[in-house]
Amino acid sequence: MSTTRSSFDAGSMAWLLQRVTAAFLIAVLAFHFFLLHFVNHAADITLGGSAYRMQELGYLVTMLLFLYTATFHGVNGVYNALTNQGIEGTQKSVVKGILVVAALALAVQGTRLALALTQVQVTP
Amino acid sequence: MSTQTPDESETESESEGFSPGEKRRQVRDEAREAREEAEAAEESTPEGDTVPLKVFRYDPEIPEKQEPRFDEFRVPREPGMTVLDALMYARDHFDSSLTFRHSCRQAVCGSDALFINGSQRLGCQTQIQDLDNEPVRIEPLPHQDVVKDLVVDMEHFYEQMETVEPYFDPDETPEDELEEQFQTPENREHVKMSTRCIWCGACMSSCNIAAGDNKYLGPAAINKAYRFYMDEREGEQKQEERMEVIAENHGVWRCQTQFSCTNVCPKDIPLTEHIQELKREAVKDNLKFW
Amino acid sequence: MSQTYDRGLVEDFGRWREFSAGMWAWLFHKFTGWVLIGYLFTHIAVLSTAIPAANATSQVSLGASGDVYTQTLQGLEGVLLVRFLEVGLLAVAVFHILNGVRLLMVDLGIGLEAQDKSFYASLILTGAIVVASVPTFLEGML
Repeated sequence: MSTTRSSFDAGSMAWLLQRVTAAFLIAVLAFHFFLLHFVNHAADITLGGSAYRMQELGYLVTMLLFLYTATFHGVNGVYNALTNQGIEGTQKSVVKGILVVAALALAVQGTRLALALTQVQVTP
Repeated sequence: MSTQTPDESETESESEGFSPGEKRRQVRDEAREAREEAEAAEESTPEGDTVPLKVFRYDPEIPEKQEPRFDEFRVPREPGMTVLDALMYARDHFDSSLTFRHSCRQAVCGSDALFINGSQRLGCQTQIQDLDNEPVRIEPLPHQDVVKDLVVDMEHFYEQMETVEPYFDPDETPEDELEEQFQTPENREHVKMSTRCIWCGACMSSCNIAAGDNKYLGPAAINKAYRFYMDEREGEQKQEERMEVIAENHGVWRCQTQFSCTNVCPKDIPLTEHIQELKREAVKDNLKFW
Repeated sequence: MSQTYDRGLVEDFGRWREFSAGMWAWLFHKFTGWVLIGYLFTHIAVLSTAIPAANATSQVSLGASGDVYTQTLQGLEGVLLVRFLEVGLLAVAVFHILNGVRLLMVDLGIGLEAQDKSFYASLILTGAIVVASVPTFLEGML
């Protein structure tokens, strides 16, 4: 059966991505909490310790993915909550714009900070 | 002379092949029967022989009622009486200006959906003895403008229903005018529950998203679309058009699976389940496009 | 035709006793969501002290604590209120995760007949996890 749909259905993609990122975040957020509160202790955070972890490639990639999925999931969640509350028209477009900018800023800043940590040479 | 057919109880105990909604209703009905038996065994004295009602009153044309208020009535308690019975008694004997919609009194017309003790229910379907609290608080449906007393403006509800084009469209009718359009029993079973909607508006009134977002189609409209979308006799062209309407921003995606609609539906339609099925259909449809 | 009356949001917080399980779930998920996104922005902002710290030195030992990053974070961890807030954050995150799992099940059509029970289960499990974690979170402050 050929589909004659001409417009991309953004609604269903956003819904699906919210769930896919949710599944990923369940695992990674749990891991993150575990690693940083139970395996290591938050009171003992040091620049050296954080840099040491971040220089492991697998960890760095996981943290970056964590950042991007959490940013999408959270900002999309806020957008949905506001739409459900009935925001519309110009106000909605303005808010959407602000959310997109905020999301990008967060993603960029987080990436910068992760990469900065990889540049620190850690001596034992 | 009795024209009744032998009673085929639908609460028989086998649970294989039942949908989640049916299992849930079965569990709920069994629990209610057990509770009623326990209550009947326990008490033999009625709680007084009148039922106190607190009814919401509003009338823009009468100065005393322009600010909404609650009126109290005490209605004689009869076994098996419903909230609708009580309201009718109050109107007929105490205050003939008490205004509310009602018609069939057997839960098929959908006229008397009310907010009873904080839940959306049909007046004719709610037994006084099933209610936990007295006085019985009777209010108009929430999230809709009140026209007078317990009557609300249903225009918005009807608009959302019309948006999904709630009628059958096979694209083309068969060439031979007398040829039938068949539906398999399985397909009928699939859409069976969704055909039960009586347009009472309880579901839409219970949905917090419908309350916030005025453009949300609402559970009743989406269920109506489901009834036709899932019907195999409908034309493919029509199916796609239906999907486009319900997959819009204010269609199925606004549902947050709060389940309030499913809880209040007087015809036990598993509304949330149907909306979820449509979401999955929409996603599959969209992925196929890519 | 005479005017109609807008009763406003009837099912507002004054009627919280009448809320169903599904409604509470929706409310809490939204509330915890807002807290988490707010925290995410704050978290990245605080961790950004790593950038000046990294720029100030090219080499540091594992336990060194002279840089602005370590001092900021250890300073915060030294405040008892912050520790309590962290327990709160744990509660919020755990609830959001557990109810999120429940929502994923609903979206997949699994276990719909027990959806309200699964909400109560997530609440109880959240409580249990939070209580069990308190000693670890308050370590060094007692």
